[in-house]
Amino acid sequence: MSVSLQAGAIDVAAEYAQLVGDRPGAAVATFTGYVRDHSDERPVATLELEHYPEMAQRVLAELGEEAASRYGLSRWRIVHRFGVLGVSESIVWVGAVADHRGDAISACEFMMDSLKTDAPFWKREEGQGGAQWVASRASDAQRRARWREEEQA
Amino acid sequence: MNIRIKLFATLREALGESEFDLSLATLVPSEKPVDVAAVKALLSQRGIDWHEALNQPNVVHALNHKVVFTDALVAEGDELAFFPPMTGG
Repeated sequence: MSVSLQAGAIDVAAEYAQLVGDRPGAAVATFTGYVRDHSDERPVATLELEHYPEMAQRVLAELGEEAASRYGLSRWRIVHRFGVLGVSESIVWVGAVADHRGDAISACEFMMDSLKTDAPFWKREEGQGGAQWVASRASDAQRRARWREEEQA
Repeated sequence: MNIRIKLFATLREALGESEFDLSLATLVPSEKPVDVAAVKALLSQRGIDWHEALNQPNVVHALNHKVVFTDALVAEGDELAFFPPMTGG
């Protein structure tokens, strides 16, 4: 139902309360992603997220709508941060409300796997030895491809 | 014809620009429709750093906020962005 791109922290409790509202439906699933303190065994101090605001808004809204139609969601929400984030801060939060647990959980997984490769954000890690752009991972592309195959099947 | 060019992440850093207007006047008289590949070729003439950065095999092109292939046609006022593979989430 909505997307938020924000520099500030994600208030997970408030997001959950707003997603559920006064009618929780039968199944609510959420996922929260946090900044790791290491990357490929290299310690990370801060993470900087660059983004393309207009495109990110559009892509995330389309992913949410697609999740809603695939899984019959009554409500969904995607929150993604940008800017400089410290270790253990939340980066991303997705939530889905459906009639059945499988649909709610799959919708969150679909939104996460898709936004990793399709939403215009770029991570740069600052740690020992300076800053380094995070390379895209083949495993992320494979996870994204699974959903396309499912769609075609 | 003018379009807006945007660059992000490693491309923005390598080329030292984040956005600018680009005139396609030199391409338009050819009467061939102008596609993303033609814009890329025009920008590549700006120097070896531009040529190398834009022609990396994994560069993503987004036209008006949608990922496209290089045969997508551009029109007056369009926004064309170049960037590396996305790493959100």
